[in-house]
Amino acid sequence: MNTSQTAEAMIVLDDVALTLNSRAGAVNILRAVNLRVNAGESVSVMGPSGAGKTSLLMIVAGLEQATAGRVRVAGAELGGMDEDALALFRCDNVGIVFQNFHLIATMTALENVAVPLELAGRNDAFGRAEQDLAAVGLGHRLAHYPGQLSGGEQQRVALARAFAPQPRLLLADEPTGSLDADTGWQIIELMFRLAAQAGTTLLLITHEAALADRCSRRIQIEDGTILASCAGAGA
Amino acid sequence: MTLFGLAWRLARRELRGGIGGFRIFLLCLAMGVAAIAAIGSIGAALKGSMRDDARIILGGDVEIRLNAVPASAAQLAWLRGQGRISHISQTRSMARTGAARALVELKAVDDAYPLFGSVVLSPGLALDRALARRGADWGAVVEPALLTRMNIAIGDTITLGKARFRIVATIVREPDRAARGIAFGLRVLVAHAALKASGLIQPGSLIRYHYRIALRVSAKAWRETLDTAFPKAGWRVRDTGNAAPGLGRIVDRISAFLAVVALTALLVGGVGVGNAARAFLQSRSGTIAILKCLGAPGRVIFAVYAIQITVLAAAGVAAGVTVGGLAPLAAGALFGGRLPIDPQFGVYPAPLALAAVFGILVTAAFSYWPLVRARAVSAATLFRDLIAPEFRWPGWRDSAVVAGLALLLGLLAVASAQDRQMALYFVAGTAVALIAFRLAAGGIAALSRIAPRAGNPYLRLALANLHRPGAPTATIATSLGMGLSVLIAVALVEGNLSRYVGGVLSESAPSLYFIDIQPDQVAAFDRLLAATPGLRNVGRVPMMHGRIVAIAGTPVDEIQPPANYAWILRGDRGLTWMRSPPATGSTVVEGEWWPSDYTGPPLLSFDAQAARALGIAIGDTITLNVLGREIETRVANLRRIDWNSLAINFVMILAPGVLDGAPQTHIATARADDAAGDAALERTVTGEFSNVSAIRVREILNRLRALIGQLATAVRLVSAVVVAAGILVLAGAIAASRKQRIYDAVMLKVLGATRRDVLAVFAIEFGLLGVVTVAIASGIGTLSAWAIVTKLMHADWVFMPATVALTALACLGVTVAIGAAGTWSALGQKAAPLLRNP
Repeated sequence: MNTSQTAEAMIVLDDVALTLNSRAGAVNILRAVNLRVNAGESVSVMGPSGAGKTSLLMIVAGLEQATAGRVRVAGAELGGMDEDALALFRCDNVGIVFQNFHLIATMTALENVAVPLELAGRNDAFGRAEQDLAAVGLGHRLAHYPGQLSGGEQQRVALARAFAPQPRLLLADEPTGSLDADTGWQIIELMFRLAAQAGTTLLLITHEAALADRCSRRIQIEDGTILASCAGAGA
Repeated sequence: MTLFGLAWRLARRELRGGIGGFRIFLLCLAMGVAAIAAIGSIGAALKGSMRDDARIILGGDVEIRLNAVPASAAQLAWLRGQGRISHISQTRSMARTGAARALVELKAVDDAYPLFGSVVLSPGLALDRALARRGADWGAVVEPALLTRMNIAIGDTITLGKARFRIVATIVREPDRAARGIAFGLRVLVAHAALKASGLIQPGSLIRYHYRIALRVSAKAWRETLDTAFPKAGWRVRDTGNAAPGLGRIVDRISAFLAVVALTALLVGGVGVGNAARAFLQSRSGTIAILKCLGAPGRVIFAVYAIQITVLAAAGVAAGVTVGGLAPLAAGALFGGRLPIDPQFGVYPAPLALAAVFGILVTAAFSYWPLVRARAVSAATLFRDLIAPEFRWPGWRDSAVVAGLALLLGLLAVASAQDRQMALYFVAGTAVALIAFRLAAGGIAALSRIAPRAGNPYLRLALANLHRPGAPTATIATSLGMGLSVLIAVALVEGNLSRYVGGVLSESAPSLYFIDIQPDQVAAFDRLLAATPGLRNVGRVPMMHGRIVAIAGTPVDEIQPPANYAWILRGDRGLTWMRSPPATGSTVVEGEWWPSDYTGPPLLSFDAQAARALGIAIGDTITLNVLGREIETRVANLRRIDWNSLAINFVMILAPGVLDGAPQTHIATARADDAAGDAALERTVTGEFSNVSAIRVREILNRLRALIGQLATAVRLVSAVVVAAGILVLAGAIAASRKQRIYDAVMLKVLGATRRDVLAVFAIEFGLLGVVTVAIASGIGTLSAWAIVTKLMHADWVFMPATVALTALACLGVTVAIGAAGTWSALGQKAAPLLRNP
């Protein structure tokens, strides 16, 4: 028996398809995608623009409903869930890091990190958020607003926010895409360190081969189909 | 943490960012709430004073009024047994001194007057001392305006009838002033004995006798005793529940009308509230998506933004209630002295609470939909724009909530209105108007979408602007349309009233009425008028007072007349008798006029319109009570009366032979060429006949015109709030689309368009939208004005296209000006910065 089959499955996609309808006609974004990611794995997704990388990530996050196939994440079947159930599912299981950080401009760094903890009903939300910010080296920038932080600092806050509720799965959409090379690498190091510490499963989209190599597995996707899956340098 | 606690915490953080995008939201809401609160508070102040001071205004707990004939000795003895009593007599007379003449409302009082409240004089004398006889002269106190009018001073003398009066003081406060109804002349107070001495009390003279009593029992119990003691007396009895019915009706009508206009202001503001909420929530779609990504369920999102809107609405409502609550104080300072009562201008919680509830409901009704849409924002937008933006039907539950809120608003408007029928029309009309403007906007957008491609590029671009996603077409059509509808309605109502007053003046209506001509003066009076050159419209008829006691055998107490015809049955009406039909002012439309030598049973000619309203037909019997004697008459014919002619007209005209020998007076009319001619004739007649009074129609019409002017100012002031709300909403809508316009302007300029070209595109866009909206608003405004003039004011209606066109053009000008102001800055934008950072 393959060891990967015996380990706990974090993501299971069976024959997943995504078709979006527009006035210009139906667009097949994903076609019969099959994927299994085990808990603790780090998987990179690569492919050209329009290949369906982001759609794959959104389906895993429960932000997009597959038009066909089965989606199982962290033991939950996402197919039958409504909007609110999916939101609670994300709250309990999924952290997301974006290329453009997406911090809430009207909240301080501390408040941004505290939000998912507050949504999870944690009484110590601010204490935890403070520790998480300290862990990403921003213990001295708690009261700063996103507009007062550099790009790298904003992505650190985003990382702290994503890891704060201790998600079992972290999804990252080109997390270094808006950063210079040096800062980007610092962020990557930080992300992998935090994931390793918490045993978080990592699924990240990137165009950078070097970053993809840090993962335990690489997936190549084109025209909505997974073309190849191979072990990365981090395996 | 509870959902509310969490939502409140998140909402508070967002609110720290300031309320920059909410200025129009706050202003729209505050203005509408302030208008409703102000009108409600002023109305409450007036009604409150009328209720609290009812005994002072009425002059007693109850008042009995008789026309022409005083109470008999037996009746008076009975009345004296009921409590403290005060007896006053009122009539009109001409005050004379040298060549000066003035019509006065003469009131003779006894020592007990006033039973409640006090008369304040300047200088501060006691009333009985002021009215006492001094040698040959009687004492009189007068309204200050009489001194100016006759160019006299305190200490001078005037003649009333045959008696001479010395002006001892002016009246600062007359406690029962509000109860007197319409006054043609200026007030003069004298003693009873002085009135007697003046010789003005003649058989049939137009004198009203009032008996006011401070009761020992309740008014209700007393009325039952009265009905038992004098079941057929036919007295007109009023108690404190109806102290000043005329004033009460005026206050009710005006405040009901103004409340409707104020509610329109709030509803127009509601459109602005909805727009601001939508723009705000659209600007927060990023934050909403982030919160959803972080696991916030839709109900948390809804609660976070509902709390923010509620907090801002509370601020807007509080500001509106504060301004509206202070308005009565300002009104008191401005108009206090000009009102017939002393209004207690204070803070009235009930109308303020009502205005606040209206504000909250309007906010909820107009913000709910944007909140539902915010709740539906997809977290996926953080990753990329969807290929096709989704339109999600929010479901029946949310649609039902919006419908429920609108229904609640309508119900509150009807339930809180003075005139529920009018409020119902208003609610239905507003709903129709809002739907009409929405449909019109949708129609414009749809037509511009399917229209064949225009050859003119400006027109093509303008048409495209009207239907592109996020175009402010619907908002502009609604806000401009509602505001303009109100403006047109107000302009037409005012125009119709002014035309009425101006019209009757311009025609050859009588300019002088002479009243109280005694039968033995008739021949000399006719000779005098015949000898005066240049007079027209000369007419004279005998007159008495009588009241209808039964129609076709049914006592009037059992008849429920339509509200606008109740006055015919309410008390004494003037009666006359004629051999031939009136030469001017009325036409027989049904039945036959009696032969000039008719001598049979009593026949009656009745007002055709009133007959229709009261269900009276030819051949019906109408029982009249004239001087205590009941006369059964039969309706012989119906006349269509043109009251606007101001000729002598009566609802009821009797055939001769019934009242010829009864105590009577005559009234007469004449028209001189001008005001100087009026004054000369008045001087001659009243110099010759000291008991005859002259009423100058020109002066009364001028005063009526001034009164309409004052009312129009109040209505215009409230309408201005509607227009201001409309302009705010319009400006907000144009500001919201400014970013898009700047981009369009820059792109057009990059592609080679001049600023003139860009301006032409915008002008065509706003022009098309404006013309369609103005056309619909003209229809709705005209229909509303027609309903107000004919149904509420029961006046004649004339459509005034020039007034509509002028108002519409002015409004169109404002729209284009606001549109141009909004787009002007777009024209000056440099292309480079925008293209670098699209």
